[in-house]
Amino acid sequence: MNYDGPLEQISEYKYRIPKSYKPGMRVDGIIYAGNKLLESIKKDKAPEQVANVAFLPGIVNYSLAMPDIHWGYGFPIGGVAATDPEQGGVISPGGVGYDINCGVRLVKTDLVLEDLKGKIEKIVNVLYNDVPSGIGSKGQVKVSYQEEKKLLLNGAKWAVAQGFGVKEDLEYCEEFGAIDGADPDSVSERAFERGKPQAGTLGSGNHFLEVQVIEDIFDQTAAEVFGLRIGQIAVMIHSGSRGFGYQVCDDYVKVMGKCLSKYAIKVPDRQLACAPVTSSEAKAYIGAMRAAANYAWVNRQVLMYLVRESFGKVFSKSWQSLGMDLIYDVAHNIAKFEKYIIDGKEKVLCVHRKGATRAFGPGNPELPDRYRNIGQPVIIPGDMGTASYLLVGTKKAEQETFGSTCHGAGRLKSRSEAIRTVDYEGLIKELRQKGIEVRSSGKNTIVEEAPSAYKNIDDVIEVVTQAGLSKKVCKMRPLCVVKG
Amino acid sequence: MIDFEFIEHTADVGVRVYADTSEQLFKNCAEVLFGLILDDRPKPDIEETVVVEAEDIEELLITWLNELLSLFFAYRFLPVDYDIILEEREDCKVIKSRIKGANFDPYQNKIKMEIKAATYHDLKVEKNDSGWIAEIIFDL
Repeated sequence: MNYDGPLEQISEYKYRIPKSYKPGMRVDGIIYAGNKLLESIKKDKAPEQVANVAFLPGIVNYSLAMPDIHWGYGFPIGGVAATDPEQGGVISPGGVGYDINCGVRLVKTDLVLEDLKGKIEKIVNVLYNDVPSGIGSKGQVKVSYQEEKKLLLNGAKWAVAQGFGVKEDLEYCEEFGAIDGADPDSVSERAFERGKPQAGTLGSGNHFLEVQVIEDIFDQTAAEVFGLRIGQIAVMIHSGSRGFGYQVCDDYVKVMGKCLSKYAIKVPDRQLACAPVTSSEAKAYIGAMRAAANYAWVNRQVLMYLVRESFGKVFSKSWQSLGMDLIYDVAHNIAKFEKYIIDGKEKVLCVHRKGATRAFGPGNPELPDRYRNIGQPVIIPGDMGTASYLLVGTKKAEQETFGSTCHGAGRLKSRSEAIRTVDYEGLIKELRQKGIEVRSSGKNTIVEEAPSAYKNIDDVIEVVTQAGLSKKVCKMRPLCVVKG
Repeated sequence: MIDFEFIEHTADVGVRVYADTSEQLFKNCAEVLFGLILDDRPKPDIEETVVVEAEDIEELLITWLNELLSLFFAYRFLPVDYDIILEEREDCKVIKSRIKGANFDPYQNKIKMEIKAATYHDLKVEKNDSGWIAEIIFDL
């Protein structure tokens, strides 16, 4: 399953798949990678998928891939593609994925490592008990059909109005926690049913809650704006739109499969099924996708509420007095309409980010006032045994990658290879020796998510920072993890 | 025992499933899919009819498997036993399936894996001299 097509180095951290590689490619593919990562990238079909994405009608400039790229279905995970609706540009549900608005949020605390001494086991146990996680878990948010429509229209604003947070939380979410234009009427009854039991649940697979300590600071000015210093404790939450999003994606992959012949679109993989942005099918998908995105923002808002309550319980203090403010919330599976200058003209493009994070630079009007001078916070989870990073976006990312950067470490081993090669007891022991406590409802989940199943996060971060797509602010080390 | 094997995929789960006939292939793929999700097979006491139309056999298989996944995760219908007829029409292919199953709540009972969907990526449905083969990648 190795990639043996062309991959031309065009600068230290950029490699090109020329559009001459496959007839039908409309633009070149560009992969951001360094020497070390390139070898692993060539070991699966991800580069082939970068070339396939270049077939999308209306694609602008390049089919892009971030250094955490790995083999997905349709788009690679770590893929970015922008299309121009005025040039027949399409939207593809496969370019967003099943877990619509899967994303990450980072919550600071005023606690320091010393405050957690002897309490880490208690914290992880309370989080594990009080935050619904694991396969098929059921949440605490129970809503009627009518109320669910309000939830889908108003996203995290709905959750805050229900008491799951404060209005300041909304300021620090991408899209302020609710994207405009959600259309619950474009959502199937089945998606409502599938989503109903799951709001406020973490989910399974690579979703997690992680308590972290700030280990290193690279940008003092930005860290001060975030209110972060070395030794401070933060919590990272990774989850998405659960079964609701999966069903929306499935419904519209079906619809768009039929659009391929209707609009005479040729793509090499049916999972890249798509429709012109201006078509009725695309408009319905966009309304439903945005509803799912808002569902995910509700989900992460409720999860944060539960995390705050759990910390309150352990430390017998309110979350406010523990300083548990939201630093930021980012979406890494989504399609957005954003303005860019293309050939000297301002264009509104449909930017697909499939396992990639928006990384707007300083001065961007989408940013909250507090972050306007430093750039958008970019939250990059690593694996559970190594580290995670907080970065900020750059102007260069806006110019080169439609304001996008990486989203994580990126998988290296398949889940089955991880199960074959990683010993559960050994892994738990190894993590404990590093001072990391892990809880999960399934042993397999922990083994599948073992650090050795992922690329080295430091290598990924080096590429995006050296290539100028993001700037490092701090590095966080895990203390305890609840895996879904 | 269903004749199948895993295919390596970096992020998700791929399977290669074998069968003697096309109907058997559909049944085996469904059994492999639900075998990944859980081990329990309660005694069936309800019946659902699932009819799906598609332009080709690949689309038919994926649409039908995703239909079963939605019935399970949205309406808690766990398929156990399948009675399948495949029809070739001039402009499409149709699967008519009568499925015996049981009410099973994946949000109350423990399941092994939450599969989001069967995907079209690298999908193969083929007939050769020794029978039928399907290769499917499931998104986890």
